[in-house]
Amino acid sequence: MADPMHQFQINKVVDLPTVNLPGLGVVDLSITNSVVAMGMAAGLICVFFALAARQAVVPGRLQSVGEMLYSLVDDLAGSIIGHEGKVFFPFVFTLFSFILAMNFLGMFLVFTATSQLAVTATLALLTILTVVVVGFSRNGIGMYKLFVPSGVPWPLLFLMVPIEIISFLVRPVTLALRLFGNMIGGHVVLKIFAGFIISLGLLASGGGIASLGILGSVVSLGSVVALTALEFIVAFLQAFVFAALTCVYLNDVVNLDSH
Amino acid sequence: MANDTTQTHESTGADGHASGGGLPQFQFVWWPGQVVWLLLIFVVLYVLLSKLFLPRVGGTIQTRADKIAADVAQARDLKTQAEAESATALAELAKARSHAQRTASEAKAKANAEAATRQAAEEAVLAEKLAVAEDRIRVSRDAALGNVRTIASDIAAAITDKLTGVAATTDEVETALTAAKA
Repeated sequence: MADPMHQFQINKVVDLPTVNLPGLGVVDLSITNSVVAMGMAAGLICVFFALAARQAVVPGRLQSVGEMLYSLVDDLAGSIIGHEGKVFFPFVFTLFSFILAMNFLGMFLVFTATSQLAVTATLALLTILTVVVVGFSRNGIGMYKLFVPSGVPWPLLFLMVPIEIISFLVRPVTLALRLFGNMIGGHVVLKIFAGFIISLGLLASGGGIASLGILGSVVSLGSVVALTALEFIVAFLQAFVFAALTCVYLNDVVNLDSH
Repeated sequence: MANDTTQTHESTGADGHASGGGLPQFQFVWWPGQVVWLLLIFVVLYVLLSKLFLPRVGGTIQTRADKIAADVAQARDLKTQAEAESATALAELAKARSHAQRTASEAKAKANAEAATRQAAEEAVLAEKLAVAEDRIRVSRDAALGNVRTIASDIAAAITDKLTGVAATTDEVETALTAAKA
């Protein structure tokens, strides 16, 4: 059976020279299949909105979908962050649409960018860094209130403050691992069941009692179909969850006083 | 599933890294390139979305909301106007109806008066004719009553003649008749 992990292997597509970036050292900027997937996702979003961002008062189908996505994230940011959600809406929408596009492309193409820990970790760190920068620029040194819950008796603070700090530090990790785990898990399971279809079918071709293997093959095929549907839901849901958590984390620092 | 065709498509160039076992995601040699490219693509996408596409979509949604609000307001205005016109029309209708009723009652009264006048005239003519006829009847009766006396005297003279054989004189008959009548 084919190695189910092989689908995550990164290969160079276009060899480019290494670049010495300040602060990062020597970086190989070759175009890999991962970069291609990211670029396609971004290109897909641009093409989609180039077609969907029409200004008809009565929208067509594509325009309706575009406005639906817009309203979805707009309502999300508005309901969680409040009236200041408008400021962060483009950032949240970019995260949401980019992750969604990469997840969906992974369902149709051979490579899923969001199943790379490098990608999800970068997105998570980007989000948390944005939260930290926004927090400090808005609250200054008042950011410490994030770790000191108000209305707590002071002896409890010895317990609460470390917990709050740990929970804050864990956020980028959970953010990265949730998306990574969901995507890699789904694709590995799909691959394994798809492999079963072939291997059990080959086993059945041997004849005799082994012919029963065809049953397992059929069950595997059904599972792949069902799991594919499930993976489409997961692809959307994880993008939505990432966007929602970004809003929650931003809300913590934007509305720190009502925290 | 498209992923299943991967193994034939992917080159074997990276096998040197994959042979270490474990997940391909932990081949850290690929990380810097992915991180840099991801940040680059993300920034480009962010700029495109926030400066170009999202304002257009948001603007369209806003325009639609404004248009719907304006249309609803206009419809409400028209409804108020229509209601006012309807009230005016109803008032005019009521006025017209009362006017028509008045005209009808006047016409009726006039017709009644004319009919009464004509009837009275007809009745006068009839009464005149009746009086003339009654006069004629009275004259005829009086004549007839006068004839009755003559016939009675003739019959009395004849009966007297038959019974006594002597013809009574006119004076005797007249006397007798006058006595009988009294």
